[in-house]
Amino acid sequence: MKLFDDLKALGVNVNDGVNRLGGNENLYKRLLGTFAKTIKSYDIQPDFDEENYSEITEKAHAIKGIAGNLSITPIYEGYTQIVSLLRSSEPMHAKEVLKRILPIQNGIIECIEKNLN
Amino acid sequence: MDKEKTILIVDDMEINRIILAEIFKDNYNILQACNGDRAIEMLNGAYDISAVLLDLVMPGTDGLGVLRDMKKSGKIVAIPVFLITAEEDEKTLMEGYHLGAVDIIRKPFMSHFLKHRVNNIIELYGHRNDLAKVVEEQIARLNHLNQSMIEILATAVEFRDCESGEHVKRISGMTKALMTEVSNRYPEYYMTADEVDKISKSSVLHDVGKISIPDRILTKPGRLTPEEYEIMKLHTVKGYDFLMQFPDIIDESTYKYSCDICRYHHERWDGKGYPDGLKGDEIPIWAQVVSIADVYDALTAERVYKKPFSHEKALEMIKNGECGTFNPKLLEAFESLTNNWKNNN
Repeated sequence: MKLFDDLKALGVNVNDGVNRLGGNENLYKRLLGTFAKTIKSYDIQPDFDEENYSEITEKAHAIKGIAGNLSITPIYEGYTQIVSLLRSSEPMHAKEVLKRILPIQNGIIECIEKNLN
Repeated sequence: MDKEKTILIVDDMEINRIILAEIFKDNYNILQACNGDRAIEMLNGAYDISAVLLDLVMPGTDGLGVLRDMKKSGKIVAIPVFLITAEEDEKTLMEGYHLGAVDIIRKPFMSHFLKHRVNNIIELYGHRNDLAKVVEEQIARLNHLNQSMIEILATAVEFRDCESGEHVKRISGMTKALMTEVSNRYPEYYMTADEVDKISKSSVLHDVGKISIPDRILTKPGRLTPEEYEIMKLHTVKGYDFLMQFPDIIDESTYKYSCDICRYHHERWDGKGYPDGLKGDEIPIWAQVVSIADVYDALTAERVYKKPFSHEKALEMIKNGECGTFNPKLLEAFESLTNNWKNNN
């Protein structure tokens, strides 16, 4: 399947994600679509307020959870770092990680959208 | 595995709920809640839920909020809760455990292990809940049996007194109603419904000491001589002594009530009763209640030596102090209660 091959090339652990769903590839595809919509609606950008970022932390935490469960490893690892830095009151460092992860994230989202459409 | 059991999945992220539902759908019915408030609603609704998979971080009522509610309602004892978490700090997880959570589910989910952990705990809780139900039923049966034995004993004593056994039943019913009325009216005499029930059950033994009174006195149709009356009065102390010898025949939590009622149900508010001449609230309120119920029943019941008095006449005699002096608050409650009964019949 082209979608899965493309995602694998972007570092997504597709086999692990599908196995988590008992091998249900169709459901995995559907959840990838939901993931793309969710992450776009959250729209976390590096210009967030460095004094007041509790909402950003919650959103990053949510993205980390679903990315992990779908085995979208690059995004999961990136947001794991971001959440950890935000919880340790290091928003500047979190922004740097976010800047680094956003192009990878956008690539994965584009890949999902292109293949699902 | 049967599919009789139901798991409630609580997570604000739809993807996480769908993944968990997929993992468990073959073995369980699945319910989903997208926030803590909805989860609480479902837990308090008609669903028979065997386990809860609960996300900690949610908008509104979070996972700890749901746990607090379950602890308050007592549901946490019967329903295992698994906390779903990505990286919460140790303090939050410890709080979750203290509130009664059984285990932590970390994201990303490891389906195979997760299935086994949840299945095992649900099975364990199922056995525990079944066992608790059996124990509860056995305790109820034992209590019922014990109460029946006590009633048999009280009725046997009454038969010696040429009564049919109905007297103790009426006293028990009247004690329950009057104690409830007094408890509702006067905060200083407040008792829970459970305690009132225990007092009502204890009241059947109020005359058990009559077992020690000789037949010639107990069943004498005419007026007792002063000497005979002194012997008759001993039934309070004898009944108390009797109960003191057999503490095991009565449930521990009702034992005090039974002993007090036996000994003090002939005490009077002005200190002129017997056996100890207690005055006012030195007399336990439960003994005061039984005492007024006992007098009213004696007046309104037919005996071989007298016709029954009407409710009005009995009430007048009690209020006039012809049967001794009673607590004015108790009299007020008693009058209101018995008038209501009369008006409703």
